[in-house]
Formats: sequence, C-alpha cells, structure tokens
Amino acid sequence: MQGLLPYLVRRLLWVPVILLAVSFIAFAITRFGPGDPVRVAMGQYSDPVVLERVRHEEGLDKPLLQQYGIYVKNLAHGKLGESFTYRNRDVSEVIFPKIWVSARLGLVAMLIVFAVGVPLGVFAALRQGTWADPLSISTLLVFQSIPVLISVPLMQIVLVLKLHWLPAAGWGGILDTHIVMPALAISLPGIAGVARLTRATMLSVLREDYVRTARAKGLGEFTVITRHVVRNSLLPLVTVVGISLATLVEGAFFAEMLLGVPGIGQLAFQAVNGRDYNIILALILILTTTFIIASIAIDIAYTIIDPRVRYERREIG
Amino acid sequence: MKRLGAVAALLLGLLVVASIVACGGGSDSSEDVGDAGGNGASGSTLRMVGNDPLTLDPALVTDAVSASYIVEIYSGLVTIGQDLKIAPDIAKSWDVSPDGRTYTFHLREDVVFQQTYRQVTAEDFKYSMERTANPDTVSTVAEAYLGDIVGVKEMINGTASEISGIEAVDDFTLRITIDDAKPYFIAKMACPTAFVVDKTQIEDDRRNWTKKPHGTGPYQVKQWKLGESLTLQANQRYYAGVPAVKTVEFVLSGGSRLTMYEDDEVDVAGVSVNDIERVLDSSDPLHSEYLSADMMSVSYLGFNTQKAPFDDPKVRQAFGMAVDREKIVEVVLKDMVPVAHSVLPPGLPGYNAGATVATFDPEKAKQLLAESSYGGPSGLPKVTLSQVGAGATAGDDTQAMVEMWKKNLGVEVEIQQTDQATFWQDLDKKSYQMFAAGWVMDYPDPEDILDILFNSKSHQNNTGYNNPEVDRLLIQARTEQDSSKRMALYQQAEELILADAPWIPLYYGRDHVVVKPYVKDFMLPPVVMPYLKYVTIDE
Repeated sequence: MQGLLPYLVRRLLWVPVILLAVSFIAFAITRFGPGDPVRVAMGQYSDPVVLERVRHEEGLDKPLLQQYGIYVKNLAHGKLGESFTYRNRDVSEVIFPKIWVSARLGLVAMLIVFAVGVPLGVFAALRQGTWADPLSISTLLVFQSIPVLISVPLMQIVLVLKLHWLPAAGWGGILDTHIVMPALAISLPGIAGVARLTRATMLSVLREDYVRTARAKGLGEFTVITRHVVRNSLLPLVTVVGISLATLVEGAFFAEMLLGVPGIGQLAFQAVNGRDYNIILALILILTTTFIIASIAIDIAYTIIDPRVRYERREIG
Repeated sequence: MKRLGAVAALLLGLLVVASIVACGGGSDSSEDVGDAGGNGASGSTLRMVGNDPLTLDPALVTDAVSASYIVEIYSGLVTIGQDLKIAPDIAKSWDVSPDGRTYTFHLREDVVFQQTYRQVTAEDFKYSMERTANPDTVSTVAEAYLGDIVGVKEMINGTASEISGIEAVDDFTLRITIDDAKPYFIAKMACPTAFVVDKTQIEDDRRNWTKKPHGTGPYQVKQWKLGESLTLQANQRYYAGVPAVKTVEFVLSGGSRLTMYEDDEVDVAGVSVNDIERVLDSSDPLHSEYLSADMMSVSYLGFNTQKAPFDDPKVRQAFGMAVDREKIVEVVLKDMVPVAHSVLPPGLPGYNAGATVATFDPEKAKQLLAESSYGGPSGLPKVTLSQVGAGATAGDDTQAMVEMWKKNLGVEVEIQQTDQATFWQDLDKKSYQMFAAGWVMDYPDPEDILDILFNSKSHQNNTGYNNPEVDRLLIQARTEQDSSKRMALYQQAEELILADAPWIPLYYGRDHVVVKPYVKDFMLPPVVMPYLKYVTIDE
C-alpha cells in the first residue's frame, strides 16, 4: 500500500478547489436566475418599495463577488447562514435533523436492496439456463417499473387500511413501524438493478480460468462459489454501495411526501421553489462533499479488495 | 491481506450500523410523529394535519399558514369574532376622537404573558409595534399593516427610534394616532403585526424565543419540532376563558391526509377534488363527517391593461363572456367552489350579492371582439395565459377555458407555466398579458382588496388598471365615517371595475374537510382568526 498515501493526499488537496468551484457556480446561478427569496417570502403582498428595502437589508443588492466573498468568509467560520424561508433559523438547525432522518431511512433501504439483491443475483446466475433465472429477474423488473407514486398508495390501502399492520404516515426513528413503508417504497426499485449487476458479474467470473482450476482441484461447488466466485464479483458492487451512501443525503421526495417522513427530500424541493439560497447552497456543498469522500473511499476499497489495483505513479522507461 | 481487509470491512460496517441504530433508537423515543392508528382521540387532544409555520414571530409573518398558528398563540387589541366582525380582545373598549384620527384603547387588566405570568400593559403594545417597524427586525409587512400610524414610516426608514403616534398614556390606556380618519384601521389591528410580544423574553433570548414564545392567546407552544410536529397546550391563564380542548397536535411532516384520517391517526383532514365524489356520496361512511365552508378569497384571471390586446376593454369583456364558468365549476371542479360574480367575496362587509359581472354569452363575445380596435380574432397578437405550474399539465379548468376561447371566439390561447417564484417576479414586472391568480383577504374590509389592487397609484396594482373615477371613489371611501355610505362607495367602485373587466372573477374559495364525530363545534375559519378555542371533544 506504499503508493496509497501520496495518492490520498493528492485527492484530498483537490477537495477545497472543487468545493469552491461548485459553490461559486451555484451561487452565481441563484443570484442570476429568476425569482427572489424576499419576494417569495412576501407572498401575495407585492410592494416593490418594501422589496428593495428588505433586499438591501439582507445584502442581496451587493455585487455578486462581494456577496460571494461574505459567504465564503462565513463558511470558513463554519457558518452556513440563515434560512430565508424559516425566518431567523440557522440553515444547520433546519437541514441537519432532516438529513439525519433521510440518511437513516436511506440506510435501511440500502440494506434491503443489497441483502435481497445480491443473493437473488447470485441465485439467478447459478440457475442460468433454467426458468428460475428469467423469472426472478423479471419479477424484480416489474417492481423496478412501478413508480413510488403508485406503490405507496397501493401499500397504504393494503397494509394500513385493510390489514392495519402499519401506520399511514409519520416517523418514529429507525426501529419503529413507520419506517417500513418508506423503506420498502425506496428499496423495491433498486433491488432489480443490484441483482442484475451481481448476476452479470458472476456470470463473467464463472467463465474465468481460475474457477475451472478450482473445480479441477476438487473443491466442492459451495466452496468454489463462496470463496472464489462471489468475492471476485463484488468489485462493481463496491462502486454502487459507495454512490448509494453518498446519495443518502439526497432524500427521497415522493416517498417522504406521501408517507409524512420529515426528510431532506421535501425540504430540498421547497428550498428550490422558495429560492432559499442558503439552504440550496448548503445542500449542494454537502452533497458535493459526500460524493468526493465516497469516490475516494471507493478507490481505496478497490485496493483492499483487489490487490491488482494500484495507484502509484508509473515510471517511464 | 485480502481476507483481513474483508473481515475488517465487515466488522466496521456492523459497527456503523449498530451505532446508527443505537443513536436512532435513543433520540427518537420522543420523536414519535403520527399515531400507530386505531386509538381515536385521547381525552381532550385534537390531532390535526398542518403545514410547517415559516415563523412564529408576529412581526415577520406573511403567509396564512404561519398566521393561523400565531392567532392562537398570541393576541392583540382586537380580534375577529365568529361573526367575522372586529371584536374587543385585550382592549376591552376604545374611543375614537371626533376627527377620526385618534384611538384610545382601554386595556383589560387581567392579561398576562404565558409561562411568566407577567402582566401586559400599554407599554408592551408600544414596544411590540415599534419592534415590528424597527429595520433590525427586517419585517416585510410593517408598512402594510402599521403604515397608517403617525411616525411608523420614519421608524422604518431609520430616522426615528420610536413611533411618535403610539403613546402609553398609563398602564392600561394606549393612544394611537393615525394619519387620516380611516375606519378600516381598526381591522388592521386584528392582524398579527399589531399583536403584543414579551419584551423580557425577546431581550433575554433574541435567537430562540420564537421556539416557545410567551404569547397571550388561548394556546401556548408546548413543543415545536421543525418539519415534524407542533404541539399547542391550552393557556390556563387565558383571560377569555381556558379553551376546552387541552392539547392540539399538528402533524407537520405531511403524508396522505385522508388515509391518515381513515386510519384514525388524525381527527380532521382536508378533502381534495379526487376524493370529493366519494365523500359526497350519502352511502359512504365519510359523508356524515363532511364539512365545508366559504372562504374570504377569490380566484381570478387578470389582464394586463397596458399590454396588447388587453389594453382594449372590449377585448377583455369578450374574453370574459366567452367562458362558461358555471359549466366549468359543475363539470371540472365538481361544484366544489362557488362561481364568482363579483370582486368582493361573500362574508366580506360590502359584498354585493347583486353585483353584475358579464355572464356567458358567446354571441355577444364574438361581436365585442369584432367591434374592438383589433377587428376580430385575426387582428390579435399571440395571446398567452400565464400561470403557476410545473409544465406537465394545465389545470382542467384552464384547459376548458382555452377550449372555450377557441370555440367561441376563434382565438388560440397558449398556456405558459412557471414556478411560483418566477411567476411573482414576472407578474411584478408586468410581463404577462393574461394571468391566473388569487387573493386572500387579510382583514375583513373591502379596502384590503379594492384599494390595494385597483387603485392606479397602488404599488400592488398588478393589472395596471387606471380609472380616475374608481380612484376617486376609493380615496373617498378611505375616510368615509358612515359605514353604509362607505360600503356603497366600494360597491359603486366594484360595479365600474366589473364593467371595465381588468379581471374575470372565477371562483370564491371554499374549504372541504372531514371531521371525526366526537369533535364538536369545529369551524373552518373564512379568514385567518382564532378558532380552536371554540372546539370541544366528546369523550
């Protein structure tokens, strides 16, 4: 792992550069785009004199670079600013509880996706050529095709109104019945993708020479599969896991809205609609950061799982 | 190495999951939002679905949602009673000087702030209104609701540090001087900007006081979890009688409301156009729980009277007469809202049941269009109707109107949709030819709609409407002391406006809900006003 540390340092040095670039682009778009948070906050009351006065008080009439400079200075002190929609509330106190809710919900959904998807993919790959393979994959594709807007009301009719097994809406934490429906709604479409990826990778690994060698050595089929085939099929899944973890902070808009989960999905949508600049920028920065971290983590994971992957600089000549 | 790495990764993963579960379980035990169903109302707790309040600071509130909570938590000199008239609240009575410009309020002596029970005095009112006008508070509504008081404009501009027109004569006498003899001033005092707030609490904790404010209203905030829930608790020292319902819980995180209602997780739920047929069906169990009430609001199509082709009143009138609103309401909107035949909605003082808006007459419409300066449909420029939307589909009613204009006038109208923020900005810039909008009454006085929207000098005149005769009537009505003469002036102005047609009034507002049978005396407030204190729950 000798070349890893310099590699890591190089990657990490880019982080502030990327964040500055992304935040500046987002900042410029918010200021130059149509719509204005103060005007939105005023609602049906539309006096332009008041609008100008309040925009001035909020510093929104300063030149773009000056506004951006103030924003970055505050950011350096760890301050994300105040929300325009939720008056006098810090952005951090508005978004972090919601991100935490969405992250937990997303994590449970991810666990379902991989706990169900990977074994199903393995199963389908091993049963290739029989009816079990296309049947299992097709079933999953049916689930993938049902949009959340349809699956949630259906689940509510059956699980809530007819069977009374679950509550209709709300949130009670990760160990509470409220999490079941949103987790199912979010995970069902994803299972098909993971299963198909696992299946495809496994099928290509099953054709490799070392599998034939392992069988020729006399190893039992179960040992061959678990020790050689599955482990080598996991590499592409690492990428999927990494990206999924990064996008936990995005939330799931429809599932949250229909099932009353106080997550970040709904808020992100509202913030864009309401032009709440500070919330929008904070979310963009957080998402960019998690993506960068996830991408670095994926690359490191590759070196651990597959010793053939190396990141040292090559020598020429 | 590989094996160690895999095992280590697995253990790390388990550790992460375990810590999340542990943290999650612990901190959420008090986070329970939404009932697991089937319990019904527990004692005297009312469970409602609500939207997140954007603020609980009366000086900052601009939206109806936040205002609906604020009128329960705080109170002011006057309030709006169940008869929709201005009623005494903290001010038990008031005198108006002969010139109509000085109001002397006599305050109750039994009003205390929640939590601390500090007595409310006239000085607290002066502080509260000065705080609203103070530029540091950054209120967008100070001008609108307090601007008539002498000295407010100076305070807003920063040239004065107090409002000269507000005087605390003694502990229980408050004198307010306004800039002209305006009878509608007292109605504005029923709005949150004039409510009393606790100076001691605010100066003690400027950042966080709104999370558990010391109001003076029938309910106080027990707990507010942003985006999750808001719990109100009856104010045991409420001067007008402790409300019967002890606790009101608002679920703020959303969810399908009718499903929650049917699962007994909430006691009141709104009914949308998708469910109204089921609820109106007398064989459905929800039918007996259905309640509806008129709102003091009106939806309309507005014309930009400064922009072709709607600068010609005949074109506006033609478009208005070409639309069969009765049919649209009956077929598309399933009779959920009343057709509007006036600008002033019912229930508002000055509402004229006999107001004559042009009715559906396609022949006359065609004729008017031919008589107009454009000569007929082929002489018109491209016509666009602008509205708020996501671009996927125009509302069924809008599409019906477009069909009617095509069929009855021979004009192809294009629909353009933008999101709310862009729409308001473009509306202010007067970029639109024709637009769909609505207006919700803030206080029960015709000045709040006719003067604000149709006076040619008003900053909020979004149609560019300019009629000197209407201006004259509106200005005269501002200071007319005789109530019936004043209403007559507004009705005359309304007749002129309807004839000139800067608007096609479409529908009045109407709310539809289902309410559990054990919840009694539940009213749907037509305008933002306290109503929870009238509700009782049968145990």
